[in-house]
This record gives sequence, structure tokens and C-alpha cells, in this order.
Amino acid sequence: MTEVTLYHWEPNANSGKPMLALMEKGVPFASHYIDMLQFDQHKPKYLAINPQGTIPAMTHGTRVLTESTAIMEYVNAAFPGPDLMPADAQDRWRVRWWMKFMDQWLGPSFSMIGWSVFVGPMVRKRDPEELAAAIDRIPLPERRIAWRKAINGDFSESEMAESRRRVALGIAKLEEELGKRDYVGSDAYSLADINIFNSTYSLPLSQPDLASRERTPNIMRWLKRVYERDAVKRTWAMGKTDLAARYSLVMEGIV
Amino acid sequence: MGAVLYHGEPNGASLTVLAALAESGLDIPCHPIDLLAGARHRLPGITEPIALDLGIEGEGPVLVIDGEAMTESVFLAQYFDELAGGCGLQPSDAYAHWEMLMWCRQITERLSPAAALLGNLASSQQAIAAIPAEAFASLTASVVSDDLRARWQALHDDAIDAGQVADSQTKVDQAVARCEDKLADGRDWLMGDFSIADLVTYSWLAGMELIRPEAFASAPLSRAWLTRVAERPCFLAARAMATTSEPFKTWAPGPEINRWG
Repeated sequence: MTEVTLYHWEPNANSGKPMLALMEKGVPFASHYIDMLQFDQHKPKYLAINPQGTIPAMTHGTRVLTESTAIMEYVNAAFPGPDLMPADAQDRWRVRWWMKFMDQWLGPSFSMIGWSVFVGPMVRKRDPEELAAAIDRIPLPERRIAWRKAINGDFSESEMAESRRRVALGIAKLEEELGKRDYVGSDAYSLADINIFNSTYSLPLSQPDLASRERTPNIMRWLKRVYERDAVKRTWAMGKTDLAARYSLVMEGIV
Repeated sequence: MGAVLYHGEPNGASLTVLAALAESGLDIPCHPIDLLAGARHRLPGITEPIALDLGIEGEGPVLVIDGEAMTESVFLAQYFDELAGGCGLQPSDAYAHWEMLMWCRQITERLSPAAALLGNLASSQQAIAAIPAEAFASLTASVVSDDLRARWQALHDDAIDAGQVADSQTKVDQAVARCEDKLADGRDWLMGDFSIADLVTYSWLAGMELIRPEAFASAPLSRAWLTRVAERPCFLAARAMATTSEPFKTWAPGPEINRWG
């Protein structure tokens, strides 16, 4: 019996992080696809696993783990396989710094834009009463606010402008970083690459004015190097929406 | 290795890092700086500034190693622990480590922005507002991060949203309640063994006893824990580095409050 079960949405942003970490470590896991666009994560069956209603979540035996970056760190420490953290203490600090920069500063801006152009329009097609009931079931008040804004298209122009500023600056800083080292934060592939790749793998398609061969050659070299990893190919093959289909489109553009 | 730790008074993020350094036993020179004078943005000899320029934590301490600016108090505590070959600040068990990281993230994402806002309003806003216009313009011009500069400006202009103050008070109350829950089984330290969770939680919560006493009124276990932590040698060493008699009344613009609400 498989000891590890992962509850996840697409190989994208937070859900993709533990998917790819498990794949890189060679840890077999049972995959439970949680359809975020159907609000599966707020239904009783999933809330029995993770009462906060956030995805991803992972069970390992009787243990329940949440928060994608912390799950990755657990996966790296708990299982044999290639070490996904560098050995040097300063490199380890840098890997952690970049993951926090993505999780708390840059990532929320990516997702604000992503929700306004992708998630919001997708779910707005549904019955308003059904949507209102679905939002009322969200356990965390912050997530209720975020979902209401996404569904109603209520992100203000200043909020969106700030998110666009952060995305442009974050991409420029990532480009600088990848000009100094082969990978994010160190010269070895690590959890920082898994973390940041999950939010940047489609940049050449979604932000072609900010990320391209001409503007960000270091990011493009790094994307290609990560895209070519076997674990990445197998993880992205698990996708069910056209988010995952972007994988092959981007590959065609950078090979 | 050229190393120096630039830090503010022993409170908030600076206290976490000073206590972690003392616990590690590492011999790294410490250099106090006046965070409210903007000294953090005029440090010499920095060749890799991104973690200083775009750090999440606001006006926290900066460790400079061979020209690289290193920030974020929890990660600096982990760095000291690992550089010292493991001084016991992090659990070795993977699940216990995950629990500690989850706790620390709750503290740094929810409590520390709230405590910094309330602390600044109580103790530093007047000083920031009193900075002469030309000096304030020079200070804010030296802040690379647009969003950190906006937090300086909001304090200067007394433009703090009342809703954020109420939300911050709630988050302090919730943090104390979480501590009380955790300590209910009679444990001495938050994660069982003393760890970075105690360092970071104490560092942001200790000053809140002055500002938000009602949060602690029904929390005897948390008050006793605060006393126990304060008596640890690493915190006595950190407190001894204060240049003011009341370091818990020393604040500077801190982490950002979650943009998503």
C-alpha cells in the first residue's frame, strides 16, 4: 500500500511543488486530484483531511501535512533519494530566502493576476447562488475575501498595478540571480528551483514582454534546463487542464 | 570569512537573531545600528544587496558575509544553527521540523506584521513624524523597496487604516491563544524542546505585553513561558546588547500586512 497520498490540483504554483519534490525524490504516492475550479477543496470529504481547505495537503501514514513549501522540506528530509537542499549553510539560507520571496512577495502577485485572467472568468460562468454557497463554505476568512474578489473581478486597479510592478521587478531580479548561479540560490538544483519553476514555467507565454530569449536569457536557459528533467516531464504529464498543455508550447519555444 | 551582524535594539527580528547567535556560540562581530535613522539602508561593503533591498521582514537585522547581505530572522537563526554544526535550535526529526517551520511561518506572516504595526504606532510613530522633511526625504530615498518605503511614509503621515489596527490586535490575541493551546499539556517550550519557534515567538510577543495586555489576561501559561524564555542565557546575552533601557519600546517599520486581506 502506498504510504504517501498527495491531494493536489494542477502541476502549477503551490500544488506542483510537492508533486515535483516527490517525483524528484522517487517517492511513490497516491494522487488525489482536487478540482479547485469545482471547489473540491472546500467540500466535507477534503475538509476531513485538511480542515483549512487549502491545497495541497499530503498524508504520510497518519501524519497530515499542509503548506506547499514546508511539505517539500519534509519530503526532502523524510525520504531517501537525491538531496534537494545544498550542503553549504549560506546556500541553504539563499534557497530559503528565494522561496520566501516567491511565497510571500512575488507569488501572491502572480496569483492575483492569474486569478483575475484565468480563475475568475472560469468560475464566473457558474450559477451565482451556487458560487455564493461555495464561498461561504471556505474555512479561512482570508481565502473567502480572496475568492470573492477573484470571482467578482474586484481586484482594484491599484492592486493590479502593484501586482504587475512586483511581477516585473521579481522577473528582473530572478534574471540577475540566474546570471550569478546555475540554479536559484546555488549551483545545484534544489527546492528553490522547484518552488520558483512552478510559478514561472509559463512566463514566456504569459508575460512575453517581460520574459523572452532577448530580455531574460538567463531565465530561459534555466527554464530549459529544468524543463528537460525527467521528473518535471512526468509531473506535468499529470495535468488535466490547459495549464499543463502550456508545458509543450513553452518547450517548443525554448528548445 | 568577512562577517558582521548589523542589528537594531534587541526586539522583534533583531532579538531573534541576536539570541540565535548567542545560542550558537559562533564568534560573529555584532554592530548595532539605528534602524529609525535609516542606517540599515546605508551599510558599507555590500556587493549582493537583493535580500536587503527586497527583504520581506522590513527593518530587520542584516548579516553580511563576504559582501552578501542576508536577511529574514528565522532563516538567519537556521543559518547560525547549521553553521555551528547543529546547536539544537532545530528538531532533527522531519515531522517535528515541519511543525516548527509551520509555527514560525504563522508567527512571521501573521503576528510579526501585526506586532510591528502596533509597536510602531505606540513607540516610534512620533519619532518618525518628527524627522525633518529633508532628512526624511533622504531616508526614504535610500530605501530601495517601494513597499517598505510606503510603510515608512504611512507612519510618517499618520495614514494607518483603523481596520488594520483592529486586525492587528486580533492577530496578537490569536497568537497568544495559540501559545496558550500549545503549552496546555504542561510543556516548557512551544515545540517540546527549545527551538527557533520560541526565539521568534518571544521576540515579537514580549513587547506586546506592554501594548496589548488584554491578550495575556487569560493566558497564564503564556506569561510563565515568556518569563522562562527571558531567563534563557541566549536572551540574557541578547538583552545585554541593548543601548536603551526599554528595548521592547523600540520599533521600526516591519513586515507587510498580507495584501490579500
